[in-house]
Amino acid sequence: MAFIGIVMIGLFGALFTRLWYLQVLETEQFTVAAESNQVRIIITPPTRGRILDRHGVVLADNVRTGVVTIDQSSYTEPVAEAVFAELADLLDIPVVQLRQGLDDQRTHPLAPKVVATGLDEDGLLRVAERSIPGVEAKWDWVRVYPQNEVGAHIVGYVGAMSERQHRELIDDGYLPYERVGRAGIEGLFEAELHGEPGRTKLEVDRQDRVQRILADVPPQPGQDIVLSIDVELQAAVESYLRQGLIAARKTVSEDSGFFYPALTGAAVVVDVRNGDVLAMASHPTYDPNWMVEGLSLAEYQSVFENPYAPGALNNLAVQGTYSPGSVFKPVTALAGLEAGLISPRAAYHDVGYYRIPEARGCTGRCTFFNADRAALGTLDLSGALTRSSDAYFYKVSDDLYWVDGPEQWAIQDMARALGFDSPTGVQLPFEKTGRVPDGDVKKTLFELSPEAYNPYNEPPRWFPGDNINTGIGQGLVAVTPLQLANAYATLANGGTRFSPNVVEEVVSREAETFGEPVLTFEPRVLDTVEFPAGSAVVREGLSNVTNSRLRGTAAKAFEGYDHAGYPVSGKTGTAQAQGLNAVLRRKKEDTAVFVAWAPTHDPRYAVAVVMEEAGYGGEAAAPVARRIIEAVRAYEQRWPEPQIAFVPPQPECPEVPEALRGDPAFLGYVPEGCPWGVQLPRANTPSDADGDGIPDVDQIGGGS
Amino acid sequence: MIARLLNRTQTRRELRSPAWFADYSLALAAIAIACLGVAMNYAATWRSLSFEGGDPWTVARRQAIFVGIGIVVMVVAAVVDYRVLRFYSTPAYLIILGALAALLRWAPEIRNARSWFTLPFFGFQVQPSEFAKLVVIVSLAAFVANHEGYLRFDTLFNAGLLLVVPMALIYLQPDLGTMLVFVAVAMGMLLVAGAQLRHIFVITLAGVLALVLVFSIDALQGPRLLSETQRNRLTAFLDQEFEPLEASYNLRQSQIAIGAGGIWGQGWKQGTQTNLDLVPEQHNDFIFTALGEEFGLVGGALLLVLYAYMTVRIWQIARVASDPFGRLLAVGILSMLLFQVFQNIGMTIGIMPITGIPLPLMSHGGSGTITAFAAVGIVISVGARRYAL
Repeated sequence: MAFIGIVMIGLFGALFTRLWYLQVLETEQFTVAAESNQVRIIITPPTRGRILDRHGVVLADNVRTGVVTIDQSSYTEPVAEAVFAELADLLDIPVVQLRQGLDDQRTHPLAPKVVATGLDEDGLLRVAERSIPGVEAKWDWVRVYPQNEVGAHIVGYVGAMSERQHRELIDDGYLPYERVGRAGIEGLFEAELHGEPGRTKLEVDRQDRVQRILADVPPQPGQDIVLSIDVELQAAVESYLRQGLIAARKTVSEDSGFFYPALTGAAVVVDVRNGDVLAMASHPTYDPNWMVEGLSLAEYQSVFENPYAPGALNNLAVQGTYSPGSVFKPVTALAGLEAGLISPRAAYHDVGYYRIPEARGCTGRCTFFNADRAALGTLDLSGALTRSSDAYFYKVSDDLYWVDGPEQWAIQDMARALGFDSPTGVQLPFEKTGRVPDGDVKKTLFELSPEAYNPYNEPPRWFPGDNINTGIGQGLVAVTPLQLANAYATLANGGTRFSPNVVEEVVSREAETFGEPVLTFEPRVLDTVEFPAGSAVVREGLSNVTNSRLRGTAAKAFEGYDHAGYPVSGKTGTAQAQGLNAVLRRKKEDTAVFVAWAPTHDPRYAVAVVMEEAGYGGEAAAPVARRIIEAVRAYEQRWPEPQIAFVPPQPECPEVPEALRGDPAFLGYVPEGCPWGVQLPRANTPSDADGDGIPDVDQIGGGS
Repeated sequence: MIARLLNRTQTRRELRSPAWFADYSLALAAIAIACLGVAMNYAATWRSLSFEGGDPWTVARRQAIFVGIGIVVMVVAAVVDYRVLRFYSTPAYLIILGALAALLRWAPEIRNARSWFTLPFFGFQVQPSEFAKLVVIVSLAAFVANHEGYLRFDTLFNAGLLLVVPMALIYLQPDLGTMLVFVAVAMGMLLVAGAQLRHIFVITLAGVLALVLVFSIDALQGPRLLSETQRNRLTAFLDQEFEPLEASYNLRQSQIAIGAGGIWGQGWKQGTQTNLDLVPEQHNDFIFTALGEEFGLVGGALLLVLYAYMTVRIWQIARVASDPFGRLLAVGILSMLLFQVFQNIGMTIGIMPITGIPLPLMSHGGSGTITAFAAVGIVISVGARRYAL
């Protein structure tokens, strides 16, 4: 009996202990489990915001399309065959093509697969009325880019989620098959464009029968992004860049005797007054419409792994870094002026080379030649820029090297003040910072990657030759086309360095606030540069570059240009590129660069053109820049500066007591135009622009 | 003073009415549990009944009627002298064997088992195996009482035969849970009756071996000795990660329900697991989950205290019973109650495998409720006649 008593105590003790464990120690875990047990959340994807240019032209939009999906998980092979045969008959699409949809590796293996898209209402109805099990015909939204490849690198594209995005975004209410922004503005502004998915919270029982609706939040549509781009100008810039590259490919290089490869290039147009990017072209390019549904491997390889169109996905205007060559010379000039080493009007005799004076104790390379070893004769600073005298800037750079004091790094300081060596802050992903070399940078590079930067195992000291190379934009200097345009814009507008804006504003599309900007990108001033006295001579030198009388380096490209109507200041650059051409296995040809602003004396737009392996800046890049500037001028005429609208002065209106409202005796006490007072005809109506209450037609008729 | 009073009662106790010695608190505890059971029957079914457009009281009202009948049966069993049961034990045993055998031939299959007769007049179903438990306890007590003190192996063997026949019939239904109740009852009773520990050990070993054999024959794709459900349930208990089957779904859902209850519970009719019908069979075998979710640790502990009180009182009655038959009756009923409570609550909280054993006095069902009340009545009868001549 005692034994049974002990058993009793033991059993009840065990039950109570376990209850304590479940209901006290582990209760939180089970509370959460009970919560998730009974609630189902149905997600309705929002419509994605559009991308517009600065005048409202749509660059990315959504269209409704009929799609047919197949849930193949329930099929056996004979059934699948019959279903496909029937679908092929209904839609007039070969079975093979339908079956391709099943091979889609980008979605979950058990998820319904899209086998046909682009159906109209008839097609959808034809499929739907058969009600084939596992087959669904429905409307879906598809992203389209109506401008095709125009602005592709800015707009970016949407595509299936990557593995990482899948993990991160599913928690934010994305559906597994949703397309997400993968590049450009589509990628960077994914959160704004996507909107808030609708969530319907249902309480369900064991059989998934809906007991009641706990919450129903409708989807909030994504916001529109308004770019600062003008589509027509953008299309023109892209087309001129491409044409310029094609023209360069028909030119024989004097160095190698081969045609220039001229595969890649970039061009940027920036408003110098506020930093708006009006156009940004990168070649080679692509059509973002290809990316929405994805490309097959063969298609992808033929487009994006084509050695003759390398890196089509890269926006070279912000991701490409190049030696600037002679377009860097104004920086050296300003640095020399800043350090007091240049008298702007002092004559310098260019003999075709510069030799480091013996007194400075030169070791190694001591003589530096002009391009083509040409002796340009007697020049001042202005002429040195106009004719791109290397020797003049060799001397400035060498003099700066031997200065003992902070001015030793004047070139580097001026370059950084103009925005090189730092991101411009444009609203585009993966922007490169470029490089402005000094002693520390050289040392770091040599240590970091000796085989790339120091193949001959030289001492990592900063030599006079390094400073001289830097002074003419060679050596380790690397800049992006956007940095070049922005630096020249800063020089043009008198020293205000903006962070370029490619996005003007983010506009709401929600019902209550439709069309109101949610976020506006005002001009962002990054820095104000104090230019030294004599900078006017630098600008004068640049203004003569297109002048044939003064033998400017771009004079030939600007032959017949309307210099009086729309004068251009600019600078050519022909930069030696390091390394080998990856396809042709021979030394890279020179990079052609041209940076300019226009009009010269009332600067409004800065233009940068960089064409890789395309030859001389004056011969390859300057003609492209000329056509771009002419397109900018046409753009200005197409969209004249907005006039400030006339706003009639508003009277100060008093509070009118309710009892007196509408009382004719009281009308005279309320100022004209106020509520409950005398109502005047509204000013600025179409029939009465001056607002004097007399229709304009009569005035015109009576007056003239 | 008190000693004198006690002394006086002792001198006259044989002459007093058994009603004087009856344990009313035991009856009250049983009735309290049954009332809690009716409340939990309502909580477990009102939502789905009203969702289907029915009367939410349907199930609870039936259970209340069963409890009413059960209380009457308990009173009758308490009033009647338990010793007369000895004379009815043999015919009762034969009748119940007949009923169990008839089940296999004529009973409709409900939920994969032939355990129920449907009474034509009342629309009630009758589960003979519930009554069989009590009848076997009485028969075994009557048989073994003659040999109390020292059980020889052949007596033990005969007692075993007495058990094995109804067990086999119940196994064929199949109803593994009820069969296990017989094992527990037999163990308790035979131990108290004076069976040798080594004999019990041998029998236990044989039983375990038989079970292992059954299970492994099954695993080796031999003849199906266990039904699919039984095998899954056992596997789910042994391997908690054994996921996608119904058995571990039940276990998981009932643990969620009880765990979510916390200390104070979510309140009567407020349990989400219960209301949304997420725990299967919740008014039957899983009734404890409704209590655990809606009244929490407090409610669960209260129920355990009531059951513990009942078992303690029955244990005391077994100790003071006037004859071996009464003691064995009480011990058998104690074993039945204890095993069913432990097994049923244990399976809902994951310390026992899932078997279809109802929680006495709580679970919905006429046969089980009436049997439980009858058993309590018999125990009260034993206790009330502890001084009987």
